[in-house]
Parts: sequence; C-alpha cells; structure tokens
Amino acid sequence: MIEARGLTKRYGATAAVDDLSFTIRPGMVTGFLGPNGAGKTTTMRMILGLDYPTAGMVTVNGKPYAKLASPMREVGALLDARAVHGGRSARNHLLCLARTNHISRRRVDAVLDLVGLANVAGKRSRGFSLGMSQRLGIAAALLGDPEILIFDEPVNGLDPEGIVWIRTLMRSLAAEGRTVFVSSHLISEMENTADHLIVVGRGRLLADSGMAEFIAGSSGQVVLARTPQPDALGRALNAAGATTSTGEPGIVQVRGLTEDVVADIAFANGIRLNHLAPARVSLEQAFMELTADSVDYHGQSPVDTQPAHNGSEA
Amino acid sequence: MTTTIGRVRPDTQPTARLRTDILGTLASEFVKIRSVRATYWTLIILIVASIGSGATYCAVEAHQWPHLTPQDHANFDPTQASVLGVALLGQFVIAVLGAQTITAEYSTGMMRTSLTVMPRRTVLYGAKAAVLAAVTLIVALSTSFASFVLGQALLAGRHAGATLSQPHVLRSVIVTAGYVAVCGVAAFGLGAILRHTAAAVAAVFVLFELIQRLAEALPHNLYTSMEKWLPGGATVGAITATTPDSQNPQLFSAWGELAVLGAYAVILVVVGAVLFRRRDA
Repeated sequence: MIEARGLTKRYGATAAVDDLSFTIRPGMVTGFLGPNGAGKTTTMRMILGLDYPTAGMVTVNGKPYAKLASPMREVGALLDARAVHGGRSARNHLLCLARTNHISRRRVDAVLDLVGLANVAGKRSRGFSLGMSQRLGIAAALLGDPEILIFDEPVNGLDPEGIVWIRTLMRSLAAEGRTVFVSSHLISEMENTADHLIVVGRGRLLADSGMAEFIAGSSGQVVLARTPQPDALGRALNAAGATTSTGEPGIVQVRGLTEDVVADIAFANGIRLNHLAPARVSLEQAFMELTADSVDYHGQSPVDTQPAHNGSEA
Repeated sequence: MTTTIGRVRPDTQPTARLRTDILGTLASEFVKIRSVRATYWTLIILIVASIGSGATYCAVEAHQWPHLTPQDHANFDPTQASVLGVALLGQFVIAVLGAQTITAEYSTGMMRTSLTVMPRRTVLYGAKAAVLAAVTLIVALSTSFASFVLGQALLAGRHAGATLSQPHVLRSVIVTAGYVAVCGVAAFGLGAILRHTAAAVAAVFVLFELIQRLAEALPHNLYTSMEKWLPGGATVGAITATTPDSQNPQLFSAWGELAVLGAYAVILVVVGAVLFRRRDA
C-alpha cells in the first residue's frame, strides 16, 4: 500500500508534482500514466525517499520509506535500468545490494535464474543490451521478494519479446497479491496490463479510476447507428438533446444517449435502423483527450513546418 | 521462495536495527570496492609509483654518496628518502580512488539504487567512508613499509640506511601511510560535496597544493605563522621526516601535521555528510 497526500515537488517556480493524492492498493497492477514531463518519475523518487517533497507526504505501508525496517523486503524498485556501475558483474551488482539487507548469496543466484541472466552473471554489465539491463534491474527489484513493486517505464526500448515478458511478470506479481505500480507515457502499454489507472499531467492528478471506468468515463459513450435516413435521425436525436455527427455516409455517431434510447427515438420517428452498436472508445483516445492540455512539448505536424512558399527557389 | 532470501529477519528494536544496517552496509560497500577494476588499477598505480619513486631517490643518493660532503651525509634522512614518494605521489592517486568511491555512484546513477536499498543515508555514507579509509590505510601502510625496506636495501651498500628501531623511523613510515589515507578520505568528502570525479580531484589539488602556493605570496611573517595550519608544501616534509626538520621549525611534528590534515578531512567529510543527507539523490 502506497499513500500520497498532497504530494508536491517544486523546482523554483515550476511544480513538477502538484498536490498529488492517491492510494496504490495490493493485488493489482496500477498504471501511472502521463505524458513525458508529467512528474511520474519525480513522484516515484519521492515514494522511495530519493527526493524530498516540497509539501505533502507519501508513505509505504504506513511509514515514510526511510523508516522501513528492511526496505528490500518491502519494496522492490526499478527506476532506471542503466543506473548501474558498468564495471561490476551482474552477480556482484546484486550481491552488493543484497548485503545491505542481509539477503543471501543463494537468493542472488535464484533471481539471476528467474530473470534469465544466470549464464552472464559473471559478465560486467557494461556490455549488456538494454533488455539484459532491464532484466538485471528487475532481478534487483525482486531480490527481497517484496510485497510492493515499483517500475518506471519498464518496457521503454525493449523488443517485443521483452515487453511480453515484463507484462506477464507484472500480471503474475499482482496475481500473487502484490502491489504493482508501473509508469508509462504510452497508454497502449497499459491496455493489457493495468487494472487501475492514475493519470497525471503537468504534475496534477487527472484521473484515478479503474481501467473500465476510465474508458467509459472519458467522453461519454459513443453510439454508432447505420441508417438510410441519417439526416432525419440526426434531427430527431438532436431534438432529444444528443450531439450527433456523421462520419461515413449513412453512419450517425451519437453522444449523450444510450443505444436503447436511440432505438426508441428512431422507432418513434419511423426511421429505419440497419445497425446500432456502442462504439468502444480506445484507451489511446481517452488518454489524448484527458492530457491534451497538459502536454509540455507539442510537436508540430510536418505540414505546418513546411516553408510557406517554395516559388523563390531557383 | 521466502525461505531462500536470508537468515536475518528485520529487527524492530531501533538499536538492533541500526547494528544490522551498519553491518550489512559495510559488507555491501566492501563488495562494491572490491568488485570494480578501477580500484585495483588505482591501487596498483599507487604502489608502483610510490615504491618506484622511493627506490629511484634512494638509488640516486647511493650512487652520489661518495661525492657528497659530510654535511650532506649528516643532513640526509634515509627514511624520508624512501617514503617521500609514497606521500607526494600517493596523495593524488588515492584522491582519485577516494573521490570515485562516491562520485562514480552519481555518474552511473547507482546512487539511486544504493539509497533505495539502504535509505538510512548516514549509514550508507558512513559505511562508504569507513570501507574506503580501511582499504586505503591497509594499502598505504603496506606500500610505505615496502618503500622503506626497498629504499634501505639500496642504501645499505653505503651504510647510509636506517632501521625501524632508530628514533622516529617507525613513526615516519606509519604517519606517511596515515597521510595517504587521510588524503583519500578528504577526497571522498570533496566527492560527496561536488558529486563529480574530475571536480573533486581538481579540488584536492587546490587544497593540497594551490592554497599553500598562494599563501606563499603573503607577507613572510604572516605566512610563517600560518604555514603549520596549511596542507601541502613543507607539510609533506614534516610528515615524512625522522628529525624535526631544521629548516621548518615553524611546523608541528609529524603526528601534529597529520592531525591538522585529519581535521581538514573530517570537516570535508562532515560537510559532505550534511549535504548527502539533505540533497535530493
């Protein structure tokens, strides 16, 4: 259980994290979602006691992180897989971490096996691929068999096999009843992994809800109706207070009404419906809508950056 | 799965927990220092450069011995000749190791991992300093003794060598090693303050050379009265000498000068500790 209350981190005038309150519960994967620069890493660093909050507080199992009796047995964290001394072998890297919490050498070998690095355990980690470094970072997080796991962008830069491996691992850790808190700036990564979402933008909390509610609640459900009389249907639904738009010919997109009500209105007005179904708003879309105002660095579309006139070139 | 993790369960008693933390972190820091090649390279350079320069100095003296005046013979300090290189070269080589003990963790990002597994910052910092001090003191003592033995062997043909049983010879050999270890610890403190290897090593150079050189520009009386409080310069002479250096009566004795430098190191380490506790990692 991780609890943040009014958590705030300011650097000068800018707030990297702004009055965040949330609770991360055991037995599920909680996704921590936000555009780059939204304050996800800073929040995780404050959870781990690496950075001090400007205001507010965050506790792990009811205590500030630094007060945990045996931190590795309670929390395993992977913030940056490349943050290891490259001159040290994988085994020695894990051993020096294990020693602080009196974790045995045997456990070091066990986690090396678990993440599939046993055959390179004696190699210096400088030569590791990103995927191998990621596995080493996960091994370090699992050393103390902790109840809480914190991963910062764990699949960044991984190949598809590595991504599937980490997803499966996170799912199975949560299924064992552990607390799994994982950040990402890509919602697509969360779609198959997270049960719960905490969404932040510019350091502020934008959403804290279950995955299903997050999708449903995004912009109201959209209902798609196919009809030979789109104009008539549109008028009838608008009269009932819905907003409508026409996409493809013969398709009316309806917001603000359920499909049952749409069917009733069509029937009452004698309009034929060939098809009627709720449209699934993609998670991606929901996320984009929610964070549209809180992205720090907007790219321009390539069209906009074209020179306005080409005629002067000889 | 849980059964394989380890034998020691977390302690709930604060004092017992502190003891567990300290022992575990000392063991961890020892694994860290012995598991990177940089440590071995630095120590090999320290040993070779120190012993090599002492041997060269003594060999040259032995070669010129018949051509020197009786006055030169009387002033010659064979112990100092053999261990001076340990102090002069060793201080900068060990500074790299001392600074790197902490700065390498910042440059690689390892510090975040270290603090995640051991969030008691004073414990982590103290364990780092203690392991560094112990390793450097042991290596410096071995180097100092080896330099002494080799140097005296080279001088033996001229009957100009010293033995450990002569007055202050043992002191000179030990204080020289202590001086090297103190330099390593001072560099560690500067590393904690600056968090950058090159900056910390440069700062050691400023502290141990430049300040004294600049102070020389002060009015002579003022400089003479403050010289014993300054690192560098004649200090190394006082530390390695077996006789109170007749040319430098303004300095403390060898132990006194070592204590002065130790005080500088302690100040740097304490300032580093305060910053280490306070700053974001």
